Amino acid sequence: MEKHMAVCPYCGTGCKLNLLVEGGKVVGAEPLNGVTNEGELCLKGYFGYDFINDTKILTPRLRNPMLRRSRDAAFEAVSWDEAIQYAATKLGEIKAKYGPDAIMTTGSSRGTGNETNYVMQKFTRAVLGTNNVDNCARVCHGPSVAGLQVTLGNGAMSNSIPEIEHTKCVLVFGYNVADSHPVIAKRIIKAKERGAKIIVCDPRKIETARLADLWLPLNNGSNMALVNAFANVLINEGLYNKEYVANYTEGFDEYKKIVDKYTPEYAEAITGLRAADIREAMRIYAAAPSATILWGMGVTQWGQGVDVVKGLSGLALLTGNLGRPNVGVGPVRGQNNVQGSCDMGVLPTEFPGYQKVTDPEIRAKFAKAWGVESLPDQIGCRLTDVPHLAETGKLKAMYIMGEDPAQTEPDLTQVRKGFEAMEFVIVQDIFMTKTAMFADLILPATSWGEHEGVFSAADRSFQRFTKAVDAKGDVKHDWEIISLLATAMGYPMHYNNTKEIWDELRELCPIFYGVTYEKMEGLGAVPWPCRDLDSPGSKYLYEGNVFQRPGGKGLLFATEWRPPQDQLTEEFPLILCTVREVGHYSCRSMTGNCAALQTLADEPGYVTINPKDAKALGIRDQELVWVSSRRGKVISRASVTDRTNKGAVYMTYQWWIGACNELTIHAVDPIAKTPEYKYAAVRVEAIADQVWAENHVQQEYAKLKGGLSNAVTRAAKKAPAYA
Amino acid sequence: MNRFVTANPSKCIGCRTCEVACALAHSDGAGVEGLAPETFKPRIRMVKTADVSTAVMCRHCEDAPCVNACPNNAIVYRQHSVQVEQERCLGCKNCVLACPFGAMDVVTIPAVRQFAGMTLSLGVKAQAHKCDLCVDRAAGPACVSVCPTSALTLMDRNAMDETLRRRRERAALEAAEVAA
Repeated sequence: MEKHMAVCPYCGTGCKLNLLVEGGKVVGAEPLNGVTNEGELCLKGYFGYDFINDTKILTPRLRNPMLRRSRDAAFEAVSWDEAIQYAATKLGEIKAKYGPDAIMTTGSSRGTGNETNYVMQKFTRAVLGTNNVDNCARVCHGPSVAGLQVTLGNGAMSNSIPEIEHTKCVLVFGYNVADSHPVIAKRIIKAKERGAKIIVCDPRKIETARLADLWLPLNNGSNMALVNAFANVLINEGLYNKEYVANYTEGFDEYKKIVDKYTPEYAEAITGLRAADIREAMRIYAAAPSATILWGMGVTQWGQGVDVVKGLSGLALLTGNLGRPNVGVGPVRGQNNVQGSCDMGVLPTEFPGYQKVTDPEIRAKFAKAWGVESLPDQIGCRLTDVPHLAETGKLKAMYIMGEDPAQTEPDLTQVRKGFEAMEFVIVQDIFMTKTAMFADLILPATSWGEHEGVFSAADRSFQRFTKAVDAKGDVKHDWEIISLLATAMGYPMHYNNTKEIWDELRELCPIFYGVTYEKMEGLGAVPWPCRDLDSPGSKYLYEGNVFQRPGGKGLLFATEWRPPQDQLTEEFPLILCTVREVGHYSCRSMTGNCAALQTLADEPGYVTINPKDAKALGIRDQELVWVSSRRGKVISRASVTDRTNKGAVYMTYQWWIGACNELTIHAVDPIAKTPEYKYAAVRVEAIADQVWAENHVQQEYAKLKGGLSNAVTRAAKKAPAYA
Repeated sequence: MNRFVTANPSKCIGCRTCEVACALAHSDGAGVEGLAPETFKPRIRMVKTADVSTAVMCRHCEDAPCVNACPNNAIVYRQHSVQVEQERCLGCKNCVLACPFGAMDVVTIPAVRQFAGMTLSLGVKAQAHKCDLCVDRAAGPACVSVCPTSALTLMDRNAMDETLRRRRERAALEAAEVAA
């Protein structure tokens, strides 16, 4: 049996593991003693590898480039030469006719790695000539990046994952660590065993709430009011670190003026919490010799995400919980390489290494290195702008790599209309996905396990992963495909391996310069910033309390609470909040093709509902129900549980039949453009004929699966002439 | 003393990694591809209520109700554990009703016989289905080895003695505090 070192392709914990290979097939995974996982793996880490083997449980792997010459035609397998030439011609025509900003590309925060993402943004900027490149951080931790860059100067976790177990207080805010990052959950359990106090702010009784010293079940949509009330308590009870605030922060007077109104008593009405509990939380937080704030999508997926992120960083600034070990602010990244896509400049605002596209000197540096006369200076459009821009005719082509927006974006009806309105859509993926069904051209790539590269863990650690098996079929590495396309469009681009790409980007990014492949050999993990070849990198940020802002001080920021945007009415009286579950990941193209994970949970998925709400609606546990919003209607299975708060229901976002994003609203944060996935007004209805409903689910599921799989088999059967 | 696997609810995050590891450890080497919802029958079960998440499995009782209830002596004490001699199991479910932990189940598997190079179906064979502590697995119970939060522990005499020692020490300290 062969063993090949890899980094888990699921969450951002960055667990190191060995893929076990027999006869060219991956047959198992075993944990390695990586820096962040220390010999542990979770459900997905242990049992989430068999998608590589093309199990076809949910959807087939892509084996050939496939082209559809008109939208009503079927896909046909074509040669790489034809596929690349077709793409180059089409993109060239669209660029010539409408300008470069009519084209949008995406990076992929998943199995492909940092090098591919670097190449994709280079292609977008240097070859297409636009900053229209984005990644799924937009729908996830975009507000954390935007918020923290303003208040502290760096958008990433300030601390490292191993430090979490050594802190004396963990404030968990809108972050279901047990389902999102099980191996980090162990760090929190260990912290508690070492005597740390655990405070959890979450409307649901999540696993961490069960273990917490204090659980604050705030009303859905009241985050800003609670964060302001926290600041109010810290200031008015004199719990804050006056010396720290005086020496290392700015904006205190303005900040105090805003939070003064948010007394715990005032916040009671908005948050539904007892004033005494709000006070108690801050007394615990402020008393701890070291304290860490961790947050997730419960903070960011709101119309007011950026403000709340800024507010949370304010709590750390007020109490001096930054710039030293075992403290800090941690927006814990959900996807395995969403930190990496941001690091690599797969953002409409930034080049790799967080260098602004609006800075002429930076543009000149990249233009010179890339051998082009100039680079675009306008900030590009965001992923969440796409449906609107496509429908209004501003966006004509999209090159989507390793993402499935037809499953993961809000308000899917609008997303589909957007794709239909576009003239040319390329999907580059390892699986046939719902998004690929809208493509004109499908480019098949190698999977995690079939290529090597570098991922960024949630705590900024760069780690290498290696290839375990040879890819089957006529597929290429993502970065090779992009290079071929660039070359066909008149910009010769060629790399022999990922190390060549890595070394090119290191030279261009001062904060990554010291992170060499050699340093990341084996179990090596190097957290950026790492500016020098002899530096081990930075476990935590802001050493010496120097913030990466003009003047070097941290900014205290508060603003008024804004209510969520969708309206509860008699017709739609319940709040739908979308969440995740431990066994499935992202759009499910990977985990849905893993036998163990699909065995534990399959369509249509659950809508969890409080027993009181269920009783009033005549719904029993495990029955199928309709869930509808102003935007759509789907069938789901009721899970009646006391862990769900009254007045709200929760669905996970990876199901095809129980697709909660048919219901979610396209209302976004004004700065980060991140959608308010956490609040859509819905109605839940019992279904009298459960036999019909069960059959309906099976039929619809079979139809969808058959549609995707037939598209691939039919194309292959047409026996490509070149083969 | 019989050994047993114990779960700590204050560490369990309800992820069901133990369930999959259990099913795989009893799959005769079929690997993950052999798993399917219809045949997924782990001997350890994660239970989630409003306030508790934890795993429930056989306690390998010293005076086991299942052993006492079996009319055909199919359940025996062996290797410091309670084991089922499957060929003797009738599928009567006395053991299922006797077990106070809900840790015993009776399942049926297709029964076949080889005859003259042919596989003949003999209907179904019943099996009393419970934790066997992975007695044939060199690395010990599979569930314990995969639990990402170390919520599962294999208790044997030594581990039990150590737990008791710590408890007594704590009790002594608490008593001293009360006295002071």
